[in-house]
Amino acid sequence: MGIKTVAVYSDVDKNAPHVQLADETVCLGNPIPIQSYLNIPKIIKIAQDTKAEAIHPGYGFLAENPDFAQSCNDVGIKFIGPSADVISLMGDKIAAKTTMEKAGVPVIPGYHGDKQDTVSLIKEGKKIGFPLLVKAAAGGGGKGMRIVYSEDALGESIEGAKRESKSAFGNDTVFLEKYIDKPRHIEFQILGDEHGNVIHLFERECSVQRRHQKIIEETPSPVMTTKLREKMGEAAVTAAKAVNYSNAGTVEFMIDGNLNFYFMEMNTRLQVEHPITEMTTGIDLVKWQLRIASGMKLGLKQKDLSQRGHAIECRIYAEDPANGFLPSVGVLGKVEFPTGPNIRDDSGIYTGMEITSYYDPMLSKLVVSTETREESINKMIWALSHYVILGVTTNIPFLKQVLEHEEFKKGNITTHFIENYFKDWTETKKGLPIDAIISLAVYDSIHTKSKEIVRYKEIDPHSPWKHVGRWRVGEKGV
Amino acid sequence: MLDAGVLEKRGCETVFINYEHENSVYNVTIERKDKYYFITYNNTEYKVEAEELKPGQLKIKIGNRIIKSVITEGEKEKYVFVDGDVFKVKPVELTGTRKTKKKEKGNLNSPISGRVVSVKVKKGDNVKKDDVLMVIEAMKMEYLIRAPFDGKVEKVNFKEKDQIEIGQNTVEIEEK
Repeated sequence: MGIKTVAVYSDVDKNAPHVQLADETVCLGNPIPIQSYLNIPKIIKIAQDTKAEAIHPGYGFLAENPDFAQSCNDVGIKFIGPSADVISLMGDKIAAKTTMEKAGVPVIPGYHGDKQDTVSLIKEGKKIGFPLLVKAAAGGGGKGMRIVYSEDALGESIEGAKRESKSAFGNDTVFLEKYIDKPRHIEFQILGDEHGNVIHLFERECSVQRRHQKIIEETPSPVMTTKLREKMGEAAVTAAKAVNYSNAGTVEFMIDGNLNFYFMEMNTRLQVEHPITEMTTGIDLVKWQLRIASGMKLGLKQKDLSQRGHAIECRIYAEDPANGFLPSVGVLGKVEFPTGPNIRDDSGIYTGMEITSYYDPMLSKLVVSTETREESINKMIWALSHYVILGVTTNIPFLKQVLEHEEFKKGNITTHFIENYFKDWTETKKGLPIDAIISLAVYDSIHTKSKEIVRYKEIDPHSPWKHVGRWRVGEKGV
Repeated sequence: MLDAGVLEKRGCETVFINYEHENSVYNVTIERKDKYYFITYNNTEYKVEAEELKPGQLKIKIGNRIIKSVITEGEKEKYVFVDGDVFKVKPVELTGTRKTKKKEKGNLNSPISGRVVSVKVKKGDNVKKDDVLMVIEAMKMEYLIRAPFDGKVEKVNFKEKDQIEIGQNTVEIEEK
């Protein structure tokens, strides 16, 4: 589009890919988010100093912060996203639901009131019944969220959710809602321009989640029908129009076992999983974000849009599935990406990069698309098997096993999928395969200097030299 | 008697290496002769040809089969990527007997580096198994430290808002 870019980065991200790609770069200093990526005055000043006309907030940190959008607006810099008012309204989950209910979009029963003391909340919780969900009003990404199955655990869960919410979002308001049976998380991508036109770009199924964090997303959803898609798409457009939404956004719905759908929340930004929509519609969402922000009318009409094939995204995290999914830190000794037609790797990693615990441990988003769901699953397994990330433990083996699971293949997924089938999952310990042993031996033979070789302190009781009649593999006649 | 890991045999160098992976030790010997590597493991000798395509990236020919692998070295360990899986190994010194790790009972070390958001107990408190002792926050998620057994709190090593590093002992408890 011929637009020059300025990237901001913290001290630990100085070699990050986005920094290398940008035309200009400015350092934000201290990696602690509040001093760097969440530092509104600093970022605004950099934008002014570099004469930036607009800011794209990405999908983390300040992407859904109304103060940031307003601060941009105040100094005449275009914030690429909806207006501060809309972000603020949708960021307040209680107000968002009330607004949607009024607009005729179905919502889940719950308590979204002002009485925020634990005693009142316990009382309201009992009215709704169990299981129920405690959710941070300002939340997102599973932070400040708890599922409560019985009255005993309600108090502790409310307090925990409040603490998490306070620390992550600076606001400890929570709400309670009915927990839906066999829930699927299905969301609709929308695009709205600044002239009142809104379209949807079909659904994304994001039911495979761990601790409320999406890990595998796909489109189309295996349960979607033409009729349901039409109804939900219409509801998504209604939701966006109800708040005069502009730019890219996502309307999240929960679907129950009988395919009833309920409005969950609206994400007022580009989503992590947006590439699967781009892969199946051929529409560049970020390009449209920029066009809309520059005042352009949506050229796309709903009736002209269609989806082709199927796409899956896997989120690759630096975490150890065998150790409670705790983040894994270290230096990436080697990174090699899988390549091929219709494989898209949106990653922020490179060989030699240090993975720290400052930020979210997401390393990459791997996306594939093919003609059918079955092919996409197989292609994703292939791509994951060719993704080399050495130096930290990743969730790649876990992702592969989820994709290989019979129920996943059948499309029988709910937001409980991981809990139901992979609750105490650990990687099967197979020992070191012979191919790994041979590889190590060759590597060490090439790289080890004689004097560095491990010395024996006594005779090795297992020494192969003590045995006679060895087998020889790899030669004719064996 | 073998004194060192290097042995003159067939007029070429033989290397002995022991790899540790998931608490098992693998004894391997490697000999190089001309373009071949003779690798012995578990009484079987593998004759292979190998090429390092790029640093750490190997293409190994064994009979009619090709192994493609990627190896990188960390501070103490090596990582091997082969056939879609990653294996972490440590070269170990063999001393005749293998040290077995003592199983830690009731580990109260922090599982993560983060910040202490809440301390639920104080010195002298009696606690029951699974009671929450401390809440640690990292990457906006909370991790609970629970009592591994019934006992009495001897010492609390951190207070609210303290920074805690992975592996540091959170609370000391005497088992009842």
